[in-house]
Amino acid sequence: MAGMDFSASQSLSVGIEIELQLVRAHDRDLAHEAGDLIERLAKRKVPGEVKPEVTLSMIELNSSIHTTFAGALAELEAQRAVVSEAAGMLNLGLCGGGAHPFHDWAERRVYPADRFKSITKRYGFLAKQFTVFGEHVHLGCANGDEAVYLIHMLTRYMPHFIALSASSPFSQGEDTSFQSSRLTAVSAFPLSGHMPFVPDWAAFLEYFETMRGYGIVEGMKDFYWDIRPKPEYGTIEIRVCDTPLTVRRAALLAGYAQALAAWLLEERTRTPSLSVYQVNAFNRFEACRFGSLGQLVDPFARRKRSIGDDILETAAAIMPQAARLGCVDAVRELSDGVRRGYSDSGWLRERLAATGSLPDVVREASDLWARPSPAS
Amino acid sequence: MQDLSWFLPSWPPVFGELVRFGALLVAGLLGGELAHRLAGLPRVMGYVLAGVACGPHGLGLMQAPLFAGARVFVDLALGLIVFELGHRFDLDWLGRNRWLALAALGESLGAFFAIYAGLLYFDYPPLLAAAAAAVGTATSPAVVMVVAHDLRASGQITERMLLFTAVNCVFAYVALTLMLPFLHLENESSWRSAILHPLYLLGGAGLLGFFGCQLLLGIAKWLGKREDRQFILMVALVVLMVGCARALQVPVVVALLVFGILARNLDDDHVLLPLRFGYAGQLLFVVLFVLSGASLDFSGLESVAAVTAVFVVVRFLGKAVAILALGRLSGLRAGGAGLLSLSLLPMSGLAVVMVYDTALLYPRFGAELAAVVLSAVALLELIGPLATQFALRRAGETHPEPRAGEARAGT
Repeated sequence: MAGMDFSASQSLSVGIEIELQLVRAHDRDLAHEAGDLIERLAKRKVPGEVKPEVTLSMIELNSSIHTTFAGALAELEAQRAVVSEAAGMLNLGLCGGGAHPFHDWAERRVYPADRFKSITKRYGFLAKQFTVFGEHVHLGCANGDEAVYLIHMLTRYMPHFIALSASSPFSQGEDTSFQSSRLTAVSAFPLSGHMPFVPDWAAFLEYFETMRGYGIVEGMKDFYWDIRPKPEYGTIEIRVCDTPLTVRRAALLAGYAQALAAWLLEERTRTPSLSVYQVNAFNRFEACRFGSLGQLVDPFARRKRSIGDDILETAAAIMPQAARLGCVDAVRELSDGVRRGYSDSGWLRERLAATGSLPDVVREASDLWARPSPAS
Repeated sequence: MQDLSWFLPSWPPVFGELVRFGALLVAGLLGGELAHRLAGLPRVMGYVLAGVACGPHGLGLMQAPLFAGARVFVDLALGLIVFELGHRFDLDWLGRNRWLALAALGESLGAFFAIYAGLLYFDYPPLLAAAAAAVGTATSPAVVMVVAHDLRASGQITERMLLFTAVNCVFAYVALTLMLPFLHLENESSWRSAILHPLYLLGGAGLLGFFGCQLLLGIAKWLGKREDRQFILMVALVVLMVGCARALQVPVVVALLVFGILARNLDDDHVLLPLRFGYAGQLLFVVLFVLSGASLDFSGLESVAAVTAVFVVVRFLGKAVAILALGRLSGLRAGGAGLLSLSLLPMSGLAVVMVYDTALLYPRFGAELAAVVLSAVALLELIGPLATQFALRRAGETHPEPRAGEARAGT
């Protein structure tokens, strides 16, 4: 099976991809200048990698592979500095956040590359409405079975990542009332959702081959799942996060994912359960709509509680693993935020209340992105 | 039978300015749509051609008096356009990107000296050559704004085209004003008016723009971030400032350009919302282009064909030199510099106004200036929009699809 062999990678190594908004200076609407920026960056030494995305209004920053979240943070920070400087020369702002607050999706222009053109041809307006911005966290896995196990076990915790990263309260000029409106844009795609409940990598491959046999997919890229295996990297990819407003928060989320995965691999007190998937849609909605104040149904403990409480309890449980992996600070900083009721979405709403207009919110968010993050 | 003529108008009825003004709008609108639908030309060209057709050299529906009487509309339209242009002028960008600042300045200097040298070669007197060069340095703000708006253009070339246009308009006015002392002295005015007149023109326009900006920011702060209120406020203040500039006899274009630039760059508290004039702006654009079309005079074109051709060519080359030299350094992608130079080709109503205002001061000099410049305007009024449209399309910065419900060109 070409390209579907699971290349082993160092277990629990992390990699981060963040999709960023490119905004114009004069009205803070999305720009169409990803091509210009990428061409300009091609001439410089940029740590990691900068890539185009489906529309000309976004770029993607990729980190290299790291063993600690601090290493990933340092690299992302260096990358942020170089890319910000280049964007400044073109009078463009870079901005975190899962969605641009007021752009008109019909105005989007598709990046001139074959893959993006074919996506637009197939999905029509969905492709342009898909101008949303996410963070993807890659976790290294020793083999395919470990990847399948982790995906099933991490699914229960996806509401944590949605709530902790939520930064898309506004869409098309309106307050959506959601903490993360971005994920609803992903749900419209036919191949979104989650991986089927397969016991191991061999069973997954069988499923994949069936789908490929029907001509539904060509590769893993065609699945828009919340967590999907990435066999060529030897990783699983958590895809539910909105792009946070700072690189620091993006790195903190990777640290949390790393410690959580380490804990799940070590403890093994529970086994994958189909009931996680039965309650998944409910939990996911609660997290998108209410963030850490939403409810989470825990099918293992057979109870319902707030997502915030669940995060705090999980954070306490995974501390030993966090200590070993050097991400205590990450886990602590995120849980402190939950205690204070902080979210990026909350920050954006507060800035709207203070400034009175969405272009001002975008301006402040790009100023925030442009400031260096404190090191850990 | 009783005489009914007491309530009937005299025959033929006397149609006032208002009727002619409305008719001009309709003619311009139809001309623009025809040009766009039949030939895929920029609408601006249709407006201009409609003006030519209605003007004294066409059907003669409009005579010179209307142009003089319509000057207030020209000022209003130009005022609105340069205010919006000024509002896009971002000093922070120039601060971050020094190569860009240098390129913008170089573009103006290059165009000025290229035209100046070209005209000297044809044995024009230095002062006339310099004045014509100053007028020729400016790119038509109206054409670049309208073409960019019509094509929904957005990107590096578009942004820089607007920025460079703002810079070369300021440059052109300052250069032309600085020639006044020589003109005054040549005409044996007092040395006092030779010095004080240009100072009054530039200083007065600058101060007026500054006061306008303070007023705008003050009222906008009180109004709050409401798009509808701010829209009315901006239009109101633009009208007010145009009126004040006319009353104080300072250049409307400079005052409004300064007004726009300061409004953008002094708004430290971010009280202003992004500016969108939308349909209201479109209305005045049509008037402006029809009127400048009506004022075009192709009759002299033949006699000065060689000079005009040289004027147009060296102007383009002069503009292109600095852009080509500094384009890559300032962050333009490969091929962008050529397209940017091309996009800056248009000359239009602004040049006519500059010539007209000079002629008010010194009719004889003004006539000589008109003879040199207006043929180039006539030519560039028609090919300029095409060049800009081509450049923006080629740069891939125009929106690929028409607005919903809008016919594609040629269908």
